[in-house]
Amino acid sequence: MTRPTPRELLGRTHPLQGLLGRSLGIGLLVALPLVDGNAYHIDVLTVAWLYALLALGLNIIVGFAGLLNLGYAAFFAIGAYSYALANLQWGMTFWVGLPFSALVAGCAGVILGLPAIRVRGDYLAIVTLGFGEIVRIVVTNLEPWTGGPNGLLGIAGPVIGGLDFGVTSAPYYWLAFALVVLGVWMSQRLMRSRMGRAWMAIREDELAAQCVGIDTVRVKLIAHGCGAAIGGLAGCLFAAKQGTITPDSFDFILSVMVLAMVVLGGLGNPVGVVVGAVALTVLPELLREFAVYRMLLFGLTLILIMRFRPQGLLGARQIGRELKVRGAPAR
Amino acid sequence: MTPHAVFLQQLVNGLTIGVVYALIALGYTMVYGIIQLINFAHGEIFMLGAYLGLTVLALGGVAGAGGPAAIGLGVVGGLAAIGGCAVVGWLVERVAYRPLRQSPKLAALITAIGASFVLQNAAMLCYGARDRYVPNPFPVSQWQWGGVAMTGMQVLIAAVALTVMIGLQWFIRATTLGQAMRATAQDPVAARLMGIPVDRVIAWTFMIGSGLAGIGGALFGIYYTTINFHDGYLTGLKAFTAAVLGGIGNVPGAVLGGLLLGLLEGLGAGYLSSQWKNVLAFAVLVLLLLFRPRGLLGERVAERA
Amino acid sequence: MSSDGVEIGSNGLHRRRWLARVAAVVVLASAAACGPREPVVKIGFVGPLTGDQAAQGAEMLRGAELAMAQAQTAPPIPGYRLELAALDDQRNPAQAVAMAKRLAADPAVLAVVGHLNSSCTKPASAIYHKARLLHVNPVSSNPEISRQGFDTFFRICATDDLQGPAGAHVARHTLGARRVFIIDDLTTYGRGLANEFKRATVAVGLEVLGHEGITQGEKDFTPLLTKIKALGPDLIYFAGMFPEAAILIKQRRDLQIPAAFLGGDGLYEPTLITLATPAAAEGVYLTTLGADVHTVPTARAFVEAFERRYGSIGAYPAYAYEATNLAIRAIRTAGRPDRPAVLAAMRRLDEYPGILGLHRFDTRGDTTLRTIGIFVIRDGRFQFLKAVEPSE
Repeated sequence: MTRPTPRELLGRTHPLQGLLGRSLGIGLLVALPLVDGNAYHIDVLTVAWLYALLALGLNIIVGFAGLLNLGYAAFFAIGAYSYALANLQWGMTFWVGLPFSALVAGCAGVILGLPAIRVRGDYLAIVTLGFGEIVRIVVTNLEPWTGGPNGLLGIAGPVIGGLDFGVTSAPYYWLAFALVVLGVWMSQRLMRSRMGRAWMAIREDELAAQCVGIDTVRVKLIAHGCGAAIGGLAGCLFAAKQGTITPDSFDFILSVMVLAMVVLGGLGNPVGVVVGAVALTVLPELLREFAVYRMLLFGLTLILIMRFRPQGLLGARQIGRELKVRGAPAR
Repeated sequence: MTPHAVFLQQLVNGLTIGVVYALIALGYTMVYGIIQLINFAHGEIFMLGAYLGLTVLALGGVAGAGGPAAIGLGVVGGLAAIGGCAVVGWLVERVAYRPLRQSPKLAALITAIGASFVLQNAAMLCYGARDRYVPNPFPVSQWQWGGVAMTGMQVLIAAVALTVMIGLQWFIRATTLGQAMRATAQDPVAARLMGIPVDRVIAWTFMIGSGLAGIGGALFGIYYTTINFHDGYLTGLKAFTAAVLGGIGNVPGAVLGGLLLGLLEGLGAGYLSSQWKNVLAFAVLVLLLLFRPRGLLGERVAERA
Repeated sequence: MSSDGVEIGSNGLHRRRWLARVAAVVVLASAAACGPREPVVKIGFVGPLTGDQAAQGAEMLRGAELAMAQAQTAPPIPGYRLELAALDDQRNPAQAVAMAKRLAADPAVLAVVGHLNSSCTKPASAIYHKARLLHVNPVSSNPEISRQGFDTFFRICATDDLQGPAGAHVARHTLGARRVFIIDDLTTYGRGLANEFKRATVAVGLEVLGHEGITQGEKDFTPLLTKIKALGPDLIYFAGMFPEAAILIKQRRDLQIPAAFLGGDGLYEPTLITLATPAAAEGVYLTTLGADVHTVPTARAFVEAFERRYGSIGAYPAYAYEATNLAIRAIRTAGRPDRPAVLAAMRRLDEYPGILGLHRFDTRGDTTLRTIGIFVIRDGRFQFLKAVEPSE
C-alpha cells in the first residue's frame, strides 16, 4: 500500500497517447460546424462550450480549492455587464472586452472572497449564495445604468478585420471552443503548479496546510480571483453572442447548474467538468419535450452523484475519498 | 393617516410575515442543532404545505366561505399540510441525508440543494408553473383603528403560530421525545450511549420541523392568495436568515429571529424602498454569517468529539 | 486516512475521454442527417408559452394556428407547404433574442409573428431587421419599438402613447379623480406606459403624488400600499401585468384603501378577477388596445370560428390571427420563398381590411387603426364600456 505519487495524483500518462487522443478529439470538434449544417445543433454546442467555460472557472474554486460556491452566476453577470456597459458607453471592442471583463470579474472575486476567508464550509456556501443574489438584485434595480429588468440591448459582437460575426453561430462556436481548450490547458497547468498543490492542500485539510506554512488567505483569494476571472470571460462572450443581456439570466438556478456540471464531470478534473457541462447542456435539448424536467435532472444529478460516486464521471478517486469519509474534523 | 398610524400598520404587516418566517425558522434551527446540516430543502417543504392546503380547499370546494363547513375544510387543509409535510420531511431525511450522515458537510449540503430542486420541480409538475389561486375558507373580517387596518387572516395566523410555538416549547421541555431531542442536540455520542435511538430522534426532528413549515405554508397561501412553486426558495432563505439571526440551534432564537426579520423587512420596504427589500434580507444574512454567526441569543450546536 | 491503490489518471482516463468525444460527434452527425425533405415555407411565432403568462401566449398561438388552418386550403406559394414554427420566449428578453436568432437562421422562415411582451419584442426586432425578416407584431404596445427605424417592423395594435393619455382621461373625467399615485412593474411595457400616463396628467389636471416600481414575482405589496394610503390619493394607476395587479388589488382592499384602481391592458385577463377575488376587483377600470372583439362586426366570423374550435376567447387571439394573416398575405403577394420579396410585398401594401378594421401602415410600421377600449370589472366580469379613437 503505497502513497500516491504526485504524478499519479495529477494524472500523467504516456505523452504520445495523450497527444494523439487529444489532437484527434479537438480536430473532430473543430470540424463539426463544417460537417453538420444544422444551425440549431451548432448553437446548442456553442452554449455547451460557454457553460464548459463556466464549469472550468467554478472548478478552480470548488474542485481545486474545495471552497463551495453557490453564487458563481454573479461573476458571469459581472463579466457580461462590464463588457456590455463598456461597449455601449465607450465603444469598447470585444477583443479588449475579453481581458477587461476577466479583470473586473477577477477583482470582484477577490473582493467578495475577502470577507469570506474565515467562514466555515457550509456557511461559506450560504454567504456566496447571498452575494450572488445581491449582485443580481442590485443589477435589476440600478435601472439607469443597467437597464433594469429589461437589460441592455445592442451589444456589439466580435469583429475580425472588418467582418463582424453576424447572426450565425459557427464563428461563436469556434471562439467558445478555443477558449475552452485554452481553459482546460490552463487548468491543467495550474493543477500541477505550486498554487494548484496549495489549493489541494487546503481542500484536504486547511489546518494542516497552515501548519506547513501555506498562506491560506492568499491562496484562497487567488482561487476566488482566478475562478471569477474565467466566469467574467464567459460573461463577455455571452453578452457579445446574445447582443442582449437581462438580469434573470444570472440567477441562482444557473449557479446550481454549473455546480451540477462540475460535480457530474468530476470535481477537480478540467476535462471532466467540460464533459459534465456538455452532457448537462445537450441532454435537456435532446429531451426538448421534457424541458420541464430540467430542474429535476440537475437536482437528481447532485443527489445521485453525491450518494454513489462523489468523484463524478471522470474525477479522481482521491476526491471521492475526501467527500465520502469523514477525515479531519470539520471547520 | 397619521405617521403614528402608518408605523403601526407597517408593524402589523411586518409581524404577520415575521410569524411565518418564525414557523419555518424553527425547522431549520432544530435540524441544524441536531445534525449540523443546513436543510436546503426546508423552504420547498414550506411551499409544499401551501400547495397541500390548496389541494384540500380545491377538492372540497369553498362554497359558503365563512360558514362552519368551509372553516372545517380550512382546518382539514391545515392538518393535511402538517401531515403531508411531515411525511415528505421524513422521506427526504431517510433517502437523501441519512446515507451521508458520516460524510463531510459539503457533500450533504450539495445533496440538500439537489433535494430542493427535485421538490421544486415535482411541485411544478403536479401543480403547473403559473400562480395558483388559493381560496379563503375563513370568514373575511376587517377592522380599522385610527387608520390601521387589520384582517381576520392576520389574527388567525398569529393565533395559530402562537399556539404551535407554545406547544413546541412544552413538547421539548416536558416529553421524553423532547428530552431525547435536546440530549441528542447536546451530545449525540453520549445520547447514543444512554440508549437514545438517535436515528429515530433525528427522524422525529425532521418531521416536526417539516410539520411546522407545512402549517406556515398553508397559512401563507391563504394570506397571499396566490402561490407559486418558486415561493419556497426565497422565503426559505429568509427564514434561514431568521434562524441564524436568533442563534442557530436555539428554539426561542428562531422565533425572535423570525419576528425581527419580518419587522425589518416591513419597515425597510415601507420607509426605504420596496425594490430593495430582498437585498436587505440577503445583506442581513451575509453580514450575520460573516461577523456574528452566533446570532442574537447564541448558537446551540452539539459539541464535536 | 489510509490510501490504497490510487487509480487516477493513467490510460483508463484518456481512453474514456476520447470515447466520449467520438461518441458525441457520431450522435450529432447522425442527427444532422435526418430531417424533412419536402419544400416548406414557415411563419415563425414567438410568445411566452411557459411561465406566468403561458395562458396568454397559448391563446395567441391558437389565433395564429386558426389563421394557418384556414390558409391550408389555398397555400400562399404553390408547391410549398405552409407551416407555423412556434417557439417559447418565456417572457424573457434574452430568451426572446435566442429564439429570434433561431428563426433568423432557418432559411424556410419568411415572416415572424410575435412577441407578446414589449421587453421581448424590442430586442428581437433588431435580430429580425438584421436578417431582413418580416416582423409583424400583434400586441406589444411600447411606442419605442417602432421608433427604432426598422423597415422590417409592422404593428397592428395601438401604442401606449395613446393608451396612457386615454387612461388619464378616464381617471379625470370618468372617475373624477384629482390625485393619483402611479405604480409600474419596471418592464419596458410597464415603465413606458406609466411614463405616458404621467405625461398626460399635466394636460388633464391630475396631481401625481408619487411614482414607484415593483418587481415582477413579488407577493407582498402591503408596505408600499401602506405608504400610498398615508398619502391619500383618489386613484391608484398600475401599469403592469395581471399577476401583480391581482395582488395589488386584493391587498388594497385588505388595507381598506379608499382609492379607485385603474390599469392598462396588462390587466385584461380573466384570471385577474379570480386571483384578486371578485369582491376586491369590483369597480376596477382598465384601458385596452382595442374594443371588445365581440362588439366588432368585421370580427364576428373569426370569433365564431375561434369559439367553436377552442371555447372561450380572450384578449389576444384576434391580434395574432390578424398578424398571421397579414404575413400570409405578404407571402402570397411575393409569390416566392424570398425574404426581401416578402418584405417588399408588405411595404407595398396600401391597406388591409382585417377583422379588426381597415389597417394602413405609417412610415414607422404602426397601423393607423388605433382604438383604445375602456372596461370596468363588475360582478366578477369584464364589462366593455366604450372605445375611443384618439386622434394623434
